[in-house]
Amino acid sequence: MIAFENLEVRYAATAAPALKSLTLSLESGIVGLLGPNGSGKSTLLKTLLGLLTPFRGSGTVLGVALGAPESAKLRARIGYMPEYDALIEDASAYEQVAFWGELSGLAPEAARDRAHEVLYFVGLDEARYRPVSGYSTGMRQRVKLAQALVHSPELIFLDEPTNGLDPDGRRRMLDLVLRVHAELSTGVILASHLLGDVERVADQLVILDQGQIKAAGSMAGLRKALAKRVELRFLDPLDAAQEAALADLGTVLEARNGLYDLELTEADPAGAFRWAQGQGATLVQVTPRHDRLDEVLLRALHPGEA
Amino acid sequence: MPIYAPTLPPAPDLSLGQPPPLVLMRFDFARLLRQKIGRFFGFAFLMMLLWKVARIYVDHLLHTNQAFKPMQDFAKTILTQGADFQADLLNPANYLLWFLVALVGGGLVARDTLYRVRPLMYAHPVAPKDYLLAKLGFASLLPFVILLPFALLPWAMSLLLAGTQGPVWVTAPLRLLPAMAISSALMGSLAVGASSLAATPRAGIGWVLGLVLGLGTLASMLHGLTGLQSAQALNPIVLAETWPQLLVGVQRPLLAWLPTILGTAIHIGLWTFVAARRTRPSEAVM
Repeated sequence: MIAFENLEVRYAATAAPALKSLTLSLESGIVGLLGPNGSGKSTLLKTLLGLLTPFRGSGTVLGVALGAPESAKLRARIGYMPEYDALIEDASAYEQVAFWGELSGLAPEAARDRAHEVLYFVGLDEARYRPVSGYSTGMRQRVKLAQALVHSPELIFLDEPTNGLDPDGRRRMLDLVLRVHAELSTGVILASHLLGDVERVADQLVILDQGQIKAAGSMAGLRKALAKRVELRFLDPLDAAQEAALADLGTVLEARNGLYDLELTEADPAGAFRWAQGQGATLVQVTPRHDRLDEVLLRALHPGEA
Repeated sequence: MPIYAPTLPPAPDLSLGQPPPLVLMRFDFARLLRQKIGRFFGFAFLMMLLWKVARIYVDHLLHTNQAFKPMQDFAKTILTQGADFQADLLNPANYLLWFLVALVGGGLVARDTLYRVRPLMYAHPVAPKDYLLAKLGFASLLPFVILLPFALLPWAMSLLLAGTQGPVWVTAPLRLLPAMAISSALMGSLAVGASSLAATPRAGIGWVLGLVLGLGTLASMLHGLTGLQSAQALNPIVLAETWPQLLVGVQRPLLAWLPTILGTAIHIGLWTFVAARRTRPSEAVM
């Protein structure tokens, strides 16, 4: 779907690089582009759209080289939902979605029909004739999603799609993202600084910080790695020899009051009971630490810190 | 609770669409209709047009009706259809037209800047030159379309009343239409260039009016200081008025050919360049 090698992007020839030597290959699916504000997520999306020219390196999007003459046509195969409010305030949702459809290459009548369909798809059926200036934040985000979908792109870039939404609005928006991929077979690149959003929908993850890729891989692989994280609770505190022997089980990340946070060598928590039996310790509880994706993110962003 | 559709139907054909500049111009036209300023300007321009047509009809009556015979000599002196008459056909609409171009054209690019939709346009198959062409085309087409009946209707009515053997200048539109096209391009480029400098439509209107009036004042000052009539070539209003005069062959045009051509070329080139620089994708994504 997308591949790039040694990609470097600068906003001006003399400016510091906004993206530094990125090399990556992404398969079709829902890719979560995660990173703090200013990490280069939006810059990467704009580069993939052809709005910014790579200073160095190369890449392809849907088989078309970045900066190639046919990149204008490529944009008809991509939908883009920007982070900011790119809405025409004095027009209704229906008018502007039809307009964006026409700009993507739809005939006027087909664009109007498609605007109705796609606004119905995102749940804005009844409000579509009202000017968007009167819309709530959630409705505005859905108009932006509708304009990205109106021409049935093969790939959509969603830049912070849950910005400003309440928890219910976030859930609805993420449900829509899942439906877009599942029902329309559209590849999705979702840029967000919210780990929960990415964790909920993505099957691949790229962590960006200061214009560099800090980690990348499938969510399944990441979850598998996380499955090795356990918290062990012993009846009595371990003695020094037993604590040293914990190294046979895995890496001790934290120890406090009889609680040991471990990254197991094998993804088999039952092995901990066997180890305890062998050491003569009483293991009373093994807790899988599936909720620690945020720690993975923090470790990727700040590798030097514990 | 929103009602979600089961799913979307299959994708329509993307190869049947219109060229992006045409889509953008149509959207700007729909936006103009929403602005509801058409009633005032429509009434004003219609009254001007009716006045011109009525003058021709009165002229016809004076020449053909015996009851008006004593007035015929007087009529010949003031209602001739020579070069001055033809050039004057477009003039009265000029100031009002500049005001309309400022009101509409001032917001053309500025509104997209305010709503931040230009980066999204460039994320579609729209090239910067498509965007510029659409904005220049719309801003220039608007005054041209408004002036069109002023050039054609009096001419058609004169032909209808007097025939080709009468005092009518049969080929006048061939001279007036190019003059209108050049004047309209001048108005359009200045409006789009000024609008690209503004962050809001109101500021865009201010920029257009400020530039037109400011350049007019500057031209008058230079003219007063140097005594050179060609200094008026800085004034876009004078340039727009001069083109019909030159092309129909008025004996004493406001400006000579050279300063008019140079002034117009510099204005169109400068404002198009400004608009092109201010609407680059790099400006849009920063």
